[in-house]
Amino acid sequence: MTVTDRTAPVRKAPRGYLTVGSTVAIPLRRASVFAGAGLFVLLLAAGVATLAWGRLGIDLADLPAALVGDAEGKDRFVFNRLRGPRLTVAIGVGAALGLSGALFQSVTRNPLGSPDVIGLSAGAGAGAAFCALMFPDTVPVPVGALIGAILAMALVYVSTGTGFRNPARLVIAGIGVAAMGAAVTQYVVYALERDKASVLTAYVNGSLTARSWTDATTVWLVLAAAAPLAALISRRLDIGEMGDDIAEGLGSEPKKAKTLAVLLAIALSAAAVSVSGPIAFIALTAPQIARRLTRGSGPHLLLSALTGGLLLVLADLCSQQLPLFDDLPVGIYTMAIGGVYLGCLLVGEWRKGVL
Amino acid sequence: MATTTVAQPSGAGTSRTGAARSAFLLLLGLAALALALCASVVFGSRSTSFGDVLDVLRGTADPTITTIIESRYPRTVLGVLAGVCLAVAGTLMQGVSRNPLAEPGLLGINAGASASIVAATAWFGAAGATDTMWWALPGALIAGVLVHVIGSAGTGASVVRLVLAGAVLTAVLMAFIQAVTLSKPQVFDSYRYWVVGALGGRDFDVFWSVLPFAAVGFLIALALGPGLNALALGDATAVALGSHPGRTRGGGLVAATLLSAAATAAVGPIAFVGLAVPHVVRALAGVDFRAQILFSALMGPTLLLLADVVGRVVMRPTELMVGVVTAFIGAPALLIAVRRMRGTS
Repeated sequence: MTVTDRTAPVRKAPRGYLTVGSTVAIPLRRASVFAGAGLFVLLLAAGVATLAWGRLGIDLADLPAALVGDAEGKDRFVFNRLRGPRLTVAIGVGAALGLSGALFQSVTRNPLGSPDVIGLSAGAGAGAAFCALMFPDTVPVPVGALIGAILAMALVYVSTGTGFRNPARLVIAGIGVAAMGAAVTQYVVYALERDKASVLTAYVNGSLTARSWTDATTVWLVLAAAAPLAALISRRLDIGEMGDDIAEGLGSEPKKAKTLAVLLAIALSAAAVSVSGPIAFIALTAPQIARRLTRGSGPHLLLSALTGGLLLVLADLCSQQLPLFDDLPVGIYTMAIGGVYLGCLLVGEWRKGVL
Repeated sequence: MATTTVAQPSGAGTSRTGAARSAFLLLLGLAALALALCASVVFGSRSTSFGDVLDVLRGTADPTITTIIESRYPRTVLGVLAGVCLAVAGTLMQGVSRNPLAEPGLLGINAGASASIVAATAWFGAAGATDTMWWALPGALIAGVLVHVIGSAGTGASVVRLVLAGAVLTAVLMAFIQAVTLSKPQVFDSYRYWVVGALGGRDFDVFWSVLPFAAVGFLIALALGPGLNALALGDATAVALGSHPGRTRGGGLVAATLLSAAATAAVGPIAFVGLAVPHVVRALAGVDFRAQILFSALMGPTLLLLADVVGRVVMRPTELMVGVVTAFIGAPALLIAVRRMRGTS
């Protein structure tokens, strides 16, 4: 970045930011530090509960040994095959979705600008279903999900005519695209044999059953690549939330940062979808909850990722331990809870007359 | 049309040409419906000709052809019933809420009916169309009321809010439906065949058991015509004209619920017919709701039957269910409408 007067306000980051050079500025207000620490502790507790709870759980006393790979027999099997990968995937997918949602909401300046609302999940489900029916052995289902997600996003982007900016258009276009995706999925579920249909239904609702360390590696690699880039542009996105004109006046380049943010968001949610299927509402709710924790003005990237991880681990804990339904796909829990939360959120926004 | 006659008493000439135009459109609508009816009986996964149909009617066709063509009667009749129900329900909802996006599918009513039917099959052993009909009704009604309550919280209902509220409620109900169906394989099996929305594979019993509900809904809809016309001018004007907006809205909700519950119970949830038909009808028949309801009742079945025929022909020898076809006709229409939306609403 050339040193001119235009860059001066960017370099002089306000108090409460941890700055590295002029580009990285991680918000470090007291509220966010507390919230971050709290979320982290909760995430640890939920993680331990996931590993230790239930008939197959690893005894708390044996847990440290299992974590460093010294466990024997049952514990080794449970940790390496059953719960270890599943927990790691849950945290990774949750964090990826939370971060993706925060980026989307920041760019669109729209609390509803999330991959769920714009039909990404339904598109991913349709892509997965289509591949399962048409190319059952040649194209892996996750690849189908990826293609479906990208197609759905492109369709929404084209049909709004104004990009992702206008909330009303975005939502309605998303509903339209989601309807087409759902129709494809339902047709495939109808056409397949019952057992295959049942497996596919679980996947298109978002499931963490029987995940492997390979799945964990996939999502964590994408997360590791995307997170530093997101941190790099976070400050410029914050400025961008004031509006493009102000951002330009402050010497920021909002368009480049926004494009990068959208690409990162797509990559993150696509990685999540390919590992776990489309899990509903995490990307939408995590940034909202994070924002309320810090009473900040916009989505907080790091806290959103932590919140997303925590939400998904908790939901997956329900899916593994609640006796009500037998190992229901985790996406159904997030759909139910997220739906109710979205309803409350909307009513709240309307009371304030925002939307 | 009502507004012009009220405002311009001297416009007798335009009114006469208007009547001629309406009569012409009515004939056109009837012709289109007749064509769709023929198509629905003639075309299918096994191709037959119009001559074959005449032979069957005369009783001179060979037995195989007779069986094939007679197997298409129930789905044709069901298509007419469901088409009328969905289109008139959409017209009513758009009229009552003055919301161009109001539709049983978008406003959560179909999801309510579905959730209720799934619960009934899972826990109360409901089977058969009459059973499910009785279960579909309360589900549809509760969902409709809930969406209106959520959507009008705060500073009053708006188009986007109602659609959002519908999407939220649909999401929660879908979670419930998936939870039940995935944990009960038997319910999953019947649900996955039902939820795509298909006219095929059902018999006349289904038609007869939902017909009374549909008929009552349709009669209420016809009676609401004048009230809806008054409502279109705004609540204050409607009251001044001696109409009761509250009564019209309540009646509209009841009729729309009856109609969409009947359609959903009979053929499964079918999206977008209720959204698309009223828009076309408004463009053709003008603002008079009495005419709109009538034309919807002609155009809904035409659209649904043609979509069903398309679904039977495109993937021969297998079929694409009508619900899939309407989604792929209706959703692009919605996307085009979004592109044309001005401002934020």
